[in-house]
Amino acid sequence: MSLRSGSAVLFSEQFGERLLKSLEYLSFKSRSHNAVAAHDYVSSVISEQEKYALYRELFPEEWSRSLASFYRRGHFVKYSERANELFRLVNEKCFPLLDYWYDDPDSELENFAIGPLNIGLCCEEIYFENLYLSYAAGLIFYFPDDAWDFLNYRFQVSASDFPAIKSSPHPSVWDRDGSLFGHLLRLIDHSTGNPWLDSDCCQMADWYVFNRETIEELSKEYKDALAAFEKLKELDATIEADPKKMLSALIDFWNYGKLPRDTHLTPTKGAKLNEEERKHL
Amino acid sequence: MSGESPLMILADETEQINPAILLAEALMRRDAADLLSAEDIDRAEKTLQVGRMEIETIERQLSVFVRSPASPSLNIPTGF
Repeated sequence: MSLRSGSAVLFSEQFGERLLKSLEYLSFKSRSHNAVAAHDYVSSVISEQEKYALYRELFPEEWSRSLASFYRRGHFVKYSERANELFRLVNEKCFPLLDYWYDDPDSELENFAIGPLNIGLCCEEIYFENLYLSYAAGLIFYFPDDAWDFLNYRFQVSASDFPAIKSSPHPSVWDRDGSLFGHLLRLIDHSTGNPWLDSDCCQMADWYVFNRETIEELSKEYKDALAAFEKLKELDATIEADPKKMLSALIDFWNYGKLPRDTHLTPTKGAKLNEEERKHL
Repeated sequence: MSGESPLMILADETEQINPAILLAEALMRRDAADLLSAEDIDRAEKTLQVGRMEIETIERQLSVFVRSPASPSLNIPTGF
């Protein structure tokens, strides 16, 4: 009886151990032989390897100095610290990649959208005092009441001081002839051809693949977009110097597609010009 | 239709390990700091495609198998 009892215990122990081993094995198999998990794993390895190659190509110095881990997960948990470092570098040195919709650490950046740089005229409240002066002036064609209120506050001018504005612009205002007025209207109209300037919060965002071609293209377009706003400063100075003359010229351009004959308009009486502007006269 | 039961059709299928599993194991063993070449990535993407097709095929087979009508077994399990 004791023998039988002993062998039963032994059998039971062996069985228990074998059972545990089997469970361990099954657990291993369920992890390592899960085709879907393996597929996801290989996809993530390829994705990260592509990011590393891109990192080395775009930022070779930073790459050689980097101590970021290839294994530890970074802020965006689907990527290693090293890949996260690339995202930060693109954000700092190329264009605002992380500013807008990437607060979620679970986000994937295989495809990404960019945030608009231009003013959202469809739904945002417009703070005229924060706009470039010329941009605010150009809004007389789109939001006349608010724009004239602002211009009246700034320069004591009103719509009645100027010719009537036609409901739609002359077709030639869209010609890309390098004129500042055309540039301003295209900017306001969100029809520059630059994705940073033409997108707004109310339309479906375009999605970009995270690759070298896209990053280089978007970097260039981002610089162009900043330059497009910078260019308005020139127009701002002329409006500031002679608001009546410049607003008349702008309305003329809208109504008839006519550009002022001289680039540096002769100031009307009482116009204030700075030294630089006087030199051009 | 061959008249074979769904189980027989499944049993006659060639068995193989999904290539994504083999590749995952190989990738898991390598050092992430050793960058893959463009050719390696290209090969891996092709393997992924084959792996994905196999997963889809199996999912389709499973779905058909689940929908197939029940049939009595020839073997009666002990205890019944």
